[in-house]
Amino acid sequence: MASPSISDRPERPASARPPAADAFALLGLTPAFDVDVAALEKAFFERSKEVHPDRFASAPAAERVVALSRSRALNDAYQVLKKPISRAEYLLAQAGVTIGDNERLDPAALMPILEERELLADAIGAKHLAEVGRLQAAMQATRARELERVRDGFARGDLAVVKHALILLRYVERYLEACDAALDEE
Amino acid sequence: MLLQIAEPGQSKVKEACKPRVVGIDLGTTNSLVAHVADEAPAVISGEGGPLVPSVVHYQSDGGVLVGRRAQAKALEAPRDTLASVKRLIGRGAKDLASVRALLPYELEGDDRAVTMRVAGNRTVSPIEVSAEVLRELKARAEASLGGPIEGVVITVPAYFDDAQRQATRDAGRLAGLEVMRLLAEPTAAALAYGLDRGTAGTYAVFDLGGGTFDISILKLVDGVFEVKATGGDSALGGDDLDRSLATAILGEAGIPLAATRTDEATLAAAQRRLIASAVAEARRVKEALTDAPEATFSLASDLTGGRTIARKVTRADLTAWAQPLLDRTGKACRRVLKDAELTRDVLDGVILVGGSTRSPVVRDYVAELFGKTPLSDLDPEQVVALGAAVQADVLAGGRRDVTLLDVVPLSLGIEMMGGVVEKLIHRNTTIPTGATQTFTTYADNQTGFDIHVLQGERETADTCRSLARFTLKGVPPMIAGMGRVEITFLVDADGLLKVMAKELTTGKEASIEVKPTYGLSDEEVEQMLIDSFEYAEEDLVKRNLAVERIEADRILAATRQAFVTDSQLLDAEVRAAGEAAMEKLEAAVAGDDYLAIRHAIEGLDHATKPFAQIRMNRAIAAQFQGVALEEAARKVGA
Repeated sequence: MASPSISDRPERPASARPPAADAFALLGLTPAFDVDVAALEKAFFERSKEVHPDRFASAPAAERVVALSRSRALNDAYQVLKKPISRAEYLLAQAGVTIGDNERLDPAALMPILEERELLADAIGAKHLAEVGRLQAAMQATRARELERVRDGFARGDLAVVKHALILLRYVERYLEACDAALDEE
Repeated sequence: MLLQIAEPGQSKVKEACKPRVVGIDLGTTNSLVAHVADEAPAVISGEGGPLVPSVVHYQSDGGVLVGRRAQAKALEAPRDTLASVKRLIGRGAKDLASVRALLPYELEGDDRAVTMRVAGNRTVSPIEVSAEVLRELKARAEASLGGPIEGVVITVPAYFDDAQRQATRDAGRLAGLEVMRLLAEPTAAALAYGLDRGTAGTYAVFDLGGGTFDISILKLVDGVFEVKATGGDSALGGDDLDRSLATAILGEAGIPLAATRTDEATLAAAQRRLIASAVAEARRVKEALTDAPEATFSLASDLTGGRTIARKVTRADLTAWAQPLLDRTGKACRRVLKDAELTRDVLDGVILVGGSTRSPVVRDYVAELFGKTPLSDLDPEQVVALGAAVQADVLAGGRRDVTLLDVVPLSLGIEMMGGVVEKLIHRNTTIPTGATQTFTTYADNQTGFDIHVLQGERETADTCRSLARFTLKGVPPMIAGMGRVEITFLVDADGLLKVMAKELTTGKEASIEVKPTYGLSDEEVEQMLIDSFEYAEEDLVKRNLAVERIEADRILAATRQAFVTDSQLLDAEVRAAGEAAMEKLEAAVAGDDYLAIRHAIEGLDHATKPFAQIRMNRAIAAQFQGVALEEAARKVGA
């Protein structure tokens, strides 16, 4: 590793990836948390047919460049919108509310999930896979509940509720990833 | 062509200069080439049928045999007869430790690439061996189609990493082929199925070849083929089953197959013959069990050091020996379903691809794993080449009703302080794609950033594959955490990665097109081409000239057509610039300097860029205006 004072590797990310420009508009949709997933996919497919670079493979370079950047923007927009958590984070960012990397929740809200984490660590340590499976199912229920709060927050225009739920969901997602990894070992 | 939205008047231009392109399935065991003549793709047959064994034999006089004729030498000269090199391509000695023990030929080389020493004390790389197979297929296609091949789509396992892909691309270039695209094998198979059977829905493609395993989930709707998730193991295939079978039977008889080999010692000739024969016999038995409930594995006594082996093998035996390998495929399948956020019940079907899926043992396993009878009504050994031919046709501007949405198979990221990997693009993201992230300095007065680009799923840099390194210098000295660098990853439709870094306070930039450090440079390939007797330098220039002239004619015709059709979108300035650029290009085509033609093409592209943009906007607006409003109205308030 190089000496830190001369040339060094970047440290941790200072900001997450900025949301794609006008993701809903690119897919011809009105911004809303509730999205008809089938219609979203249909819109994505229809637009992909028109802009995909393969259609321009033998076109002049200028058109290839245009097609490439449009197709990239379209794919990135779809990627953000197709999953509820990233869609919610995107809508929140569009409304000017950002979630920082070190955003903290009040300990009371966090306590249950931290306790669950300890249970999970114990189950993984003991290679008790049935228990991991049970904890995973319980956390998936928590995830569904928090997503319901996100939906509710958007419906009432209460972005503080949305933000709170999204921060909690980050912990939930990490927890579920740990469950997946443990069950993958088998 | 300038904006290729189907307009009736343009089809003539297209037909007139439709390039001669093919699809190639470069397999571990067998390879083949296919072509789209009218509508449907068809395989191109040659001596011994459409399959060319991926085997190359080097003779002591410098001659080279490929395919069946090479295979015939496998037992008499195992050391000079190279099979299964797909397992070695883009791989270093360290990656190959386990494969090496059972290869009947010797590997040399370092952690980046290996080579083989063959007859006449010649050293060849897996890239060169693959290029021999590709040359054979190219010759077949040219004989059958009556002219030079202008472009090719070569398939690769979906789970091949960047090094393996780059090496395959190099093999194509070395064979004198213009590689338009590397296409994932399961995607190619789905393409062939979708078009042939009018299949629609969500399908899993289970592709078990000679040396690689892929599992992909695709959604097929109305001409769109979307890869939802892909995974696999680029070192798992029918070869491994042959080896387990051989090892198990000889093990029972107390004859060690691989264990006698020490690290650097070369194998005794007898041992080499034993490996080659035992593995070939295992393959024969495995194939016999496809149709018969049992078969006999036998080896003559001169191979085993005095003992004749005759062992009856049942399907149950094969299943037992195959189980560890099958379980590895099962694990990959479960992970891919999870990545696609699907359960097996919602799949409309499972498509079998690859010669190894002919075995009932594999079929039964897949049927049980997915809870449905798998589909294999298209020949699993041909379907990949057929799909590649379709994609070649699409890229050459032929077929217009097919859109493939492929993904990055492995995550892409950079190394941070402490050797941790930060992923910028996650596996299974649809390409083309891009991602930008800002990083801060770690130390006071840090004046540069080392940017180390990595591929893989693991968390630490030393367990991922290194793709490239570069340094952004000239960062002004600041206290730790104040310097900020913005890193952008861009992946194009070919899966090629470009990385850019920008220091945000000074605006200083650096960028790199990622080519794995173990691929060949353009100069090296050019030199190898020049060196090979098939391509004198003169021929290369001639070939380039022909290619550029075709390209120039195509662009001139399309631009003229567009200037007429859409003259109302054209302002005087752009028209004048465009016409001047066209004149220049015509003059260049009349000459014989291919570089001048290439520059003039670029000039015309540049001149017509604003016009292209306007036409594109208009076409998209026309396509979607009505639809978008309607759909939006339905969806609000939900």
